[in-house]
Amino acid sequence: MRESSSVPEEVKFRLNHLWIFVIICFSALIIFLWYFQLIKGEELAQKAVENCIRSLVEDAPRGKIYDRNKELLVSNRPAVIVSVIPGEIENLEKLSNKLGELLEISPDQIRKQVEKYYVNPFKTVKIYDDCEIKKIIEIEENQDELKGVVLEIQPRRKYLYHDLAAHSLGYVGEINKEELQQMNSYNFQGGDIIGKSGLEKFYDAVLRGEKGGREVEVDALGREITTLLHRKSIPGKDIVLTIDSQLQQFGEGLLNSKKGCIIVSNANNGEILALISKPSFDPNLFVGGISSEDWKLLSNDPDYPLSNRSIQGIYSPGSTFKVITAIAALEEGIADANRKIYCPGYFKLGNQVFKCWKEGGHGNLDMIGAISHSCNVYFYTLGKDLGIEILNKYMKKFGFGEKVGIDLPAEALGTIPSAGWKQREFKEIWYPGDTINLSIGQGYLSLTPFQLHNVISAMAANGRIYRYHLVKEIISINGKSDKKIQRELFREIDISPNTYKTLKEGLRDTILKGTGWRTNIEGLEVSGKTGTAQNPQGETHAWFIGYAPQGESEICITVFVENGGEGSDTAAPIAKAMFEKYFNIEKN
Amino acid sequence: MKKNLNKLGENVDYILLMTVVVICFYGLLALYSSTRMSTAEGDSYFFVKRQILWMAIGFSFLMITLFIDYHQVEKYSTFVYLVAIVLLAMVIFSGSTTYGARRWLPIGPFEFQPSEFAKIALIIFLADFLNKNREKLDYFFYFLVPFAYTGLLILLVFKQPDLGTSLVYLAILIIMLFVVGVKIKFLSAIFLTSILSVPMLWFFLKEYQKRRIILFLNPNIDPLGGGYNVIQSRIAIGSGGLFGKGLFAGLQSQLHFLPAQHTDFIFSVVGEELGFMGTIFLLGLYAIILWRGIKIAKEAKDLLGTLLATGAVAFLLFHILVNIGMAMGILPATGLPLPFLSYGGTFMISNLVVIGILLNVEIHKVKW
Repeated sequence: MRESSSVPEEVKFRLNHLWIFVIICFSALIIFLWYFQLIKGEELAQKAVENCIRSLVEDAPRGKIYDRNKELLVSNRPAVIVSVIPGEIENLEKLSNKLGELLEISPDQIRKQVEKYYVNPFKTVKIYDDCEIKKIIEIEENQDELKGVVLEIQPRRKYLYHDLAAHSLGYVGEINKEELQQMNSYNFQGGDIIGKSGLEKFYDAVLRGEKGGREVEVDALGREITTLLHRKSIPGKDIVLTIDSQLQQFGEGLLNSKKGCIIVSNANNGEILALISKPSFDPNLFVGGISSEDWKLLSNDPDYPLSNRSIQGIYSPGSTFKVITAIAALEEGIADANRKIYCPGYFKLGNQVFKCWKEGGHGNLDMIGAISHSCNVYFYTLGKDLGIEILNKYMKKFGFGEKVGIDLPAEALGTIPSAGWKQREFKEIWYPGDTINLSIGQGYLSLTPFQLHNVISAMAANGRIYRYHLVKEIISINGKSDKKIQRELFREIDISPNTYKTLKEGLRDTILKGTGWRTNIEGLEVSGKTGTAQNPQGETHAWFIGYAPQGESEICITVFVENGGEGSDTAAPIAKAMFEKYFNIEKN
Repeated sequence: MKKNLNKLGENVDYILLMTVVVICFYGLLALYSSTRMSTAEGDSYFFVKRQILWMAIGFSFLMITLFIDYHQVEKYSTFVYLVAIVLLAMVIFSGSTTYGARRWLPIGPFEFQPSEFAKIALIIFLADFLNKNREKLDYFFYFLVPFAYTGLLILLVFKQPDLGTSLVYLAILIIMLFVVGVKIKFLSAIFLTSILSVPMLWFFLKEYQKRRIILFLNPNIDPLGGGYNVIQSRIAIGSGGLFGKGLFAGLQSQLHFLPAQHTDFIFSVVGEELGFMGTIFLLGLYAIILWRGIKIAKEAKDLLGTLLATGAVAFLLFHILVNIGMAMGILPATGLPLPFLSYGGTFMISNLVVIGILLNVEIHKVKW
């Protein structure tokens, strides 16, 4: 049957080689399979799991912020974010043209965005933040031409009254690299929204809540198939402020178009009833990332609208400092209430002449008269007798150069001068003339309005300064009170009752007969002190510190108007208006 | 005729035929697993049903092949070659486009890939040509002639563009030349020249072809773009481990992380779901087919039969090596399908026609 083959032996020989070649190739394939499947199998299996399990972060809504009367100041709103899923885009060119037209942005920008933030084909790339309703509708109407475009919803901070109490409230923003390192916590990741300033920052841990998350199995198109794990987000706790938004709003009106600040606190517990700093800004601008134009405008503004002047501005206290000089003199036995000094309108130290603000002088004044008329010569004399070291001691007693301890971040410290300090800073000795200047609050001393507020707080409550605070209560998610902020004695200044008595008399007379007459209110015993701080850069700064009523004091007010001129002209009337508003006194 | 049929039945290589049947079922299983989740067609059996149709057509072609004495190729080889040229030329001028390449000709409701037909045509043409001119191949100039014939086909598919298929033609030619017994130094010379001409060829490659080669050299350059397929495929295969994750349980496969997982990357589905055991089993089946193929080539009645069988073996071998190598990321992604497993009509038919050629050579080694 079988015929002898006519195939040459050489060919059969070569076919044997082909078979050997096949065996070698297959062995190689088997070795590779063995390597990938058995040696690296575990590792690659892990990758396969990561590939299709996505962790989706569920942002916790931040806690709301209320004023002391439970009026809502800060809440959250849903924001629509327009994103694309690169893997679903059929034609990027066409898509970006269409989407650009609808969103009124350049198609080029969309293309660049997609290329820049491309992580993988199924991870969304944000194109347009916080889309307007009108555009959302247009996108939804054109959905069939916009394959790959998705609308995502995120909670966004909403500051209901825009710039009202902006410096106290602060603002939120995306966590940055430095903050991520600082926080050094596994709880944070890029893209998280955190408090950046003000209460939003100080109470971030309370307000932020806890992020939730879902582990979902997705297919290659990013479609969710099943939820493997779901941890609900825990909303942030609400906070109730000590701020009275009506008083706050009123105060902001008084400072409108001025630079400066007003501090109103409860003398008996440190609650801040109003904290105004002007000019201000709208924290809503920062929500979802501030535009570079807005940022430039705010950060380059020569009036520093972002700075909270009450804790971050440092200024000379001017004549309000005479309170410290008086206390030091009384306590150190340099003078008693009856010590009389003749003011000829000037004061001579060697061949240096220091002028009183009143040309021709005040004539003969005792301590109370000197305070109420703010006589420079009287305090020059006390200062000369006290010397810098004693004055320095009393400044420290009142907490100058230290944080006032309010629940806000980034307090400035200011400068309290001493002979040693001047030597270090300027390599110069402390001249007696420096003390003369300091005794009326001029020269090297600089402090924040809040540090000066310590002085008036101490006066109002006989040396007791309660910790200032803006938050009254923290409310947990179920609506129950989580924590009530109790009053806390922060600083007690040990000064004899007689000294307080003399000073209080002087401060009361200031309003009744002296420089503070513009704060006099019928039916309310207001006490206070004005100040006008020399300012080498320009117009003087106007100060007023005061409290009311005289006996059982309720509130303390500090008014500061940058380049405001005379304290008695500018600051005192503002303080009067605030007192009237607080005590609800009808203006005539 | 009845007697002839009996003889035919006696002489069919049942080992080869049964292995092909088993591998076809294995392929259907893998195909079902990789396409059942695809609801785009509204029918989880859509691809499987179509593939079964292709198999039926392919087996019919196989049967037809058996009844034609392979010596007929001596008469028709040039004609078959010319038909291939014409069809490939038609693709260039009127073919439809997928993934930026023209590869298809419409035939009624179906699309037909002439480059697949050209593979068979080339085997037939070269077998006849080399059989008739074996002695002359000792002259280097004459040795270059089959390169010219093959080169024309390569030029036509390269225009499509289809790098993978061009390489299949070249592989068929080289292996057939080797087996027919050309001087090794000629082959070495060709090999060296082609290596030296790679930099020149680089200028003729399309951008995407260059990218494929660059990405093959380092897929991590662009893990989610061009290198995506290769990385995902390697992850899928590797994650299968020894026994695999079980049929229909592959994370990568079932979740469609693998692009072209029912065509070019179906091996990854086998790797992930059936593991090392599954891939070894598949390689074993292929080894049997190649073993029987080479055996048939060796035992053929004459050189023509040997060369036809060699061409068939070369066809299968090259597809298997390149496709599996590509799935593991050890060879560049040239887009070659895996015989009997990858979804695709023309390819399935050409696979079975190639088996038909082998069986034909086998049964005609005796007179009947």
